[in-house]
Order: sequence, then structure tokens, then C-alpha cells
Amino acid sequence: MSTLAHARTLPPRTAVAADSARARWSRRFQHGGWFVAPFFVLYGLFVVLPVVRGLYLSFTDANISGDHTGFVGLDNYREALKDDLVWDSLWHSVQFTLYVVPVIVVVALLMALIAHHTVHFKWLWRLCFFAPFLLPSAVIGNLWWWLFQPTNGMVNHVLGLDTPWLTQKSTAMLAVVVATLWWTVGFSFLLYLAALQNIPHHLYEAAELDGANAFQRMLHITVPNLRNITGLVLALQVLASLQVFDQAVVMYQFGPGPEESTRTFVQYTLEQGFTSYRVGYASAISFILFIIVAAVALGRMWLLRNREEVATR
Amino acid sequence: MGQPGLNRRQLLAAAGGLAVAGSFGFAALGTGADALAAGAHTRVRYWNLFQGGDGANQVAMVDAFRDGHPDIAVKDSTLAWGGPYYTKLAMAAAGNRAPDLGVMHQGRIPGFAPGRLLDPWDVDLLAKYGVREADFNPVLWQRGIVDGKLYALPLDIHVQLNFYRKDVCEKAGLLGTDGRLPAAGSADEWFDILKEAKGQLKKGQQTLGLHANDQNFCWWFFVAFYGQLGGTYFDDAHTTVTFDTDKATRVLEFLRKHVTDGYVTVGEADGEAFLAGSPFTWEGNWSVPYFNGEKVEYGAQPLPPVFGTPATHAESHSFVLPHQADRGGDGNEGAYRLAAYMVTHATTWANGGHVPAYLPTFEDPAYLKLAPQSEYSRPAMDHQANEPHIWFAGSTGVLAQRVGPIVASSNLGSAAPDAAARRMRSALAQLLAMKNPMDGRTAAQELKGAGA
Repeated sequence: MSTLAHARTLPPRTAVAADSARARWSRRFQHGGWFVAPFFVLYGLFVVLPVVRGLYLSFTDANISGDHTGFVGLDNYREALKDDLVWDSLWHSVQFTLYVVPVIVVVALLMALIAHHTVHFKWLWRLCFFAPFLLPSAVIGNLWWWLFQPTNGMVNHVLGLDTPWLTQKSTAMLAVVVATLWWTVGFSFLLYLAALQNIPHHLYEAAELDGANAFQRMLHITVPNLRNITGLVLALQVLASLQVFDQAVVMYQFGPGPEESTRTFVQYTLEQGFTSYRVGYASAISFILFIIVAAVALGRMWLLRNREEVATR
Repeated sequence: MGQPGLNRRQLLAAAGGLAVAGSFGFAALGTGADALAAGAHTRVRYWNLFQGGDGANQVAMVDAFRDGHPDIAVKDSTLAWGGPYYTKLAMAAAGNRAPDLGVMHQGRIPGFAPGRLLDPWDVDLLAKYGVREADFNPVLWQRGIVDGKLYALPLDIHVQLNFYRKDVCEKAGLLGTDGRLPAAGSADEWFDILKEAKGQLKKGQQTLGLHANDQNFCWWFFVAFYGQLGGTYFDDAHTTVTFDTDKATRVLEFLRKHVTDGYVTVGEADGEAFLAGSPFTWEGNWSVPYFNGEKVEYGAQPLPPVFGTPATHAESHSFVLPHQADRGGDGNEGAYRLAAYMVTHATTWANGGHVPAYLPTFEDPAYLKLAPQSEYSRPAMDHQANEPHIWFAGSTGVLAQRVGPIVASSNLGSAAPDAAARRMRSALAQLLAMKNPMDGRTAAQELKGAGA
């Protein structure tokens, strides 16, 4: 406003010239696109381009040296469908997801409730719950490898057991789940904590006035208000868990675990691409995972939209 | 008022400018790190995978080379061993950014596209720097040759050993008059030794570290004992699997018995348990510097010849020339000089536990004095059990990845030894039918191609 008022006092022609120069400059350089450009450049370079190239490679018999490659059409995909190890490793990733996701949701919620309702040392609770999330996966894998040691490990020591956690099929995946829970629950905890803090306090006051006890308040106010965030946590966890890789690989020292029970889908992709050097085949099987993960994400969006439509009707 | 907007823009401009300048600065720093040391006019980029007890030893040798060759600037990089190392080396060679000199396990050479990812050694140039075939272990030298050209210059042999603690063995009355453990000549003798030693232990201590669930060790130990039985894997033409499931079953039963008889705690940190008082552990000789660093009296011998004929698993480190389109000139010659220095100064290298490939080392009094190297190096060198010489074999290769877990499942009891042996055989058949992704040919086709 002030510039306009100022402009009116100037001789008309100069004002127009100055304005149009500035406008041109503005149009060119003050466009919002410039602010997102760095993101799009990096995203294109490191996400879109590799995905497109990976898709191309999945139709070739490319090896790691880049030589001797030819177009093989759908051969890689056909082979993958018949490859038992593809299905075994996919099942292991799904198994992991089925175990870990519900546990994380419940534990994260409980932890958030504790941190939200405690009066003293709030910061300490938050710190303790979130701190493990900051550790790199290699540290987590090694740490839990030691904790699960059969004779000297802390887990057996504390529980008074001599269970060979990492060397029998029945507990191998469970060990990865426990390590992952300890490591990543902090993230979901934080989401829940934020959501809890966003529930308007007057709802609780009103309920209390109406004579609702703590359990009823929890059931009828807290839980419904956390529905959206639970959906988000679930979706994020499922998508992340299907891609489980690093902690399991470190805990089983790049091996497939007892009776090959912890070889995950991503690990098998790595083995094909980087031990067997079959880049084309590895690209094809990683696209199979991509399709599955994308289907889960799209399925969630579809569910959400339906629910919203129902809600608005 | 009116001023803050301008300030914000200035701030953004300044921050942007700084970021751009900073990135140029880092770029400059990158080239700065590559710059030659004062006085040097040749740079040699050298990649290796020595992370274990042998790593420090290797760094000392490279430093000694630098002192003696001020005109050569060695830029050495130690990378994580195993699959990731070979991936990086292959991609660097494929992308024409390969180092001047690299280290590889000899067993990995056939699968590493010699000729495309690797350049051959110029034997005459090697001779100029004092490296002659006659001075080397002939088996190793021959194994480095593909299509008549030398691709792998052998540095050492590394073997699987039976490490034993002299304190526990002495108490159990197991040591001979020379203070060494006599080699067990049969499975019964070996289990008697274990039984005696176990009597000296506290409850909960394991008697033997067997790496029973580690796919690499499982496979290496299998190769050793299967070699003692004279077992083979494929015929010479690489067309048929000759794997003997009866012999394999015997080996698997032998390995499994350690677990069922309670001598092995599966999943134990074996090296550390050994240092903490466990009497035996089966380990690669690269653990020698690690164990030497602790105050433990110990000896090391090849894996016991329980099936009669002595044989222990052996692999070799070798120097290779990763492919460079414009290989030659000073950098290349510097690589030859560094490799020549390393292979001929094998006594220092042998401190790391490895058995030298350079034979004059065995006449060096300093080498002969090394303990426990003197106890195992000769017998291990003379009685090697190797993986088959085929594209999918070699340290941490596809073969170990496919077959190792089967041995582990037998060790752990989830598969019966005879069933595991049959699974190994079918895995071998699958691998034999598989095409090498590097050239699109099966092992048999590769062999024919080589002969044609």
C-alpha cells in the first residue's frame, strides 16, 4: 500500500517504467517455484531418475559391470514369479510387518499416555522414549546381537533363561521385532504425544462434569480423537516394515538367519544385485516390492476417501 | 519499518551465496585431498579389504613403502570386506574410475570378468621390480592365470585353524613334550581331546568355538573336512555335479556332533569366549594379531585331520589391476612397485597371521621365529582344501551364500545331515546351470570358450 501511495506522487512515466522493471524481475525471480526448485532437482536426480532407470533395467539382463546387457522383456519378472526365494523372503517381510506393527501402535500409545499424564520429569520420559530412534541401524543391530547372546547376553541374564534367541527359527524373527520396537517406537510415540496434546481440554472437563470416569473418558474422548493419527501411524509402519532390512541384516551378519528364516525381501534384492551381480533381476524384484508398497499406500488413500465421503453424507 | 524486508532478502542472498561458495569450497577440498604430497610426482590409488588384525600390519607396510619411495604418493583406502567390497570394486572398474591397484581373494577371480573388470599383469614389468614366478608358491601362481595371462598376483594363503589355549590344555594333560597339541588323527581322538578339556571348564563355558551358525565359516569348515575325504564338486568340464552326498553326510554329522555333545554353544561370540578361557576355537589365521594382543598363551594348528588325510580350508589374497581404459604410465608403474614391495616383504605381512606366497620368506630367520605361525604355516600350505575354481565360488561369493546356510541348518539340528547333504547337491546343480551374469554363459560354456 505504501509503495502505491508513494508512486502516485511521482511523475507517471517514470513510475510506470520502474514498476514494469520491478514487476518483470518479480515475475521471473520471486516465483514460488524457485523455492521448491532445489527440492525438485534433488528429487528428480535421486528418486525419479533411479526409479525410471531401475524400471528399464528390470527388462534387461544387466550385470554390475554394465557390459553384455540385452533386452529380455518380461523374463526377469517371469523368473521372479517362479523363484521360491522371492516368495520366502517376501513372506518373511510380511511376517515381520504383521508382528511389529500392532505392537508398535499399542506400545507407542501407552508410552505417549505415560509421558502425557506424568507430572514430574516429563522431559525425561520423552527423552528416554525417543532417544533410541536417533541411533543408526548398524548400532542397533550390533547392540541387540550382544544383548541376545546365549550365555553372556543381558536378555537371558535378566530373564534367567538360556534361550538361543538368534540361532533358532522360532525366536529369530521375534528378536528382530524386539530390537525394532525398541529402536523405532519413539517415532510413533512422538506422533501420539502430539495428537494427545491437541485434544481440547474442555472435552475432558465436560465429560467429567457429566460424570464420566477415567476409563470412559479414555474410550469416548481420547481413542476417537486419536483415530486419524492411528491411521497415519499404521500406514507409515506398514510401509516401513515391508522394507525391513538393515537391523535384521546386521543382527544376522549378512546371513539369512537360522533356517533362512530372516532373509527379508530387500535383503534378497541386495543379494541378487550385489553378490550375484544380477542388476536386471534385482531391479525386477525390487519393482515387485514397489508395486506391493504402492498398493498398500493407494489402498489406504482409497479407504480414507471413502470414510470421508461416508462422514460427509 | 520498510527495512526488515530488505534485510530478509539480504540474509537469504547471503545464505544462498554462502551455500554455493561452501559447496565450491568442499569441491576444492576434495581435490585438495587428492593432491600429491610434496616431492611426489606419481599417485597410486590402492584399495584393500584388510580390516581385521591384518589391517594395522598392512598400514605399517604401506607407510614403510612411502618412506622408501618419496616419489610415489600412495592413496590407500580400506573398505569393508566381503560382498560390499567386491561390489564397489566391480562398479569402479565398470565406471572407469578404478583404483590403480586392488586386493582380491583369488577364488573370486573367475567370476570377476578378468579381461573386462580386471587388467592382466605385465609379467616382464613385474620382473623389473623383482617379482618372478619362480619365487612363488606354484599352485597359487597358476590359480591367478586366466586364458594364459596373470590376473592375480598372489600375496598369501589364509587358512582355517584350530586355536588352542595352552593353559587349559596343559591342565588337562593334552600337550606334548614340545608344548604343542598333537594333531588328532580321528574323530574319536578329537572328541576325546574335547572331553578332557571340558573337564577343566566352569559350567556354561563352551569348549569349542565353531561359528556353527555363520554361513561363511560353516562353508569353510565343510570344505576342509570334505577335502580330507577327497570329495569333489564338479567334473572337469563343469557339466556334471560330482558332489558325494555320503561323504558330505559324514562331514555334516561330524560337525553336528559338536553341538549335540554340548561342546559348542551356538551363537556364542567365539573369539571373545576363547580369550575369556574357552580352550578351543576354529578361526581364520587373521585372528593371530588379535589373540597376540591379549595375554593368552595359545597355539594354532590346521584343522584336525579327523578323516585321515590332512587338509584345511585355504583362500588367498592377491593383488589385481582393476580395469582402467587408459592403464599405463607412472601411476600404473607405481602400482607395480607397491605390489612388488608388498609381496616381497612378506615377513612383515606374515605378522598378521597369513602364510606368505613368496617362498624366500620361508628362509628368513625372522619369519621362522614367528609364533604361532611357525606351527601351522608349512602344514597348512602343503595341505590346502580349496573351493572349486568356478565363477560362483570364492570368499563370500554366491556359493557360500547358497550352501553355507544349509551347513548351518544341519549344525543347528533343523535339518538332518543326510537331508542337508542332498540339499547341498541340488543347490550345486542349480548353480552349475546358472549363467554368469557377467557374460551370460554357464560355467561349462565359459570353460569351452576359454579352450576355443
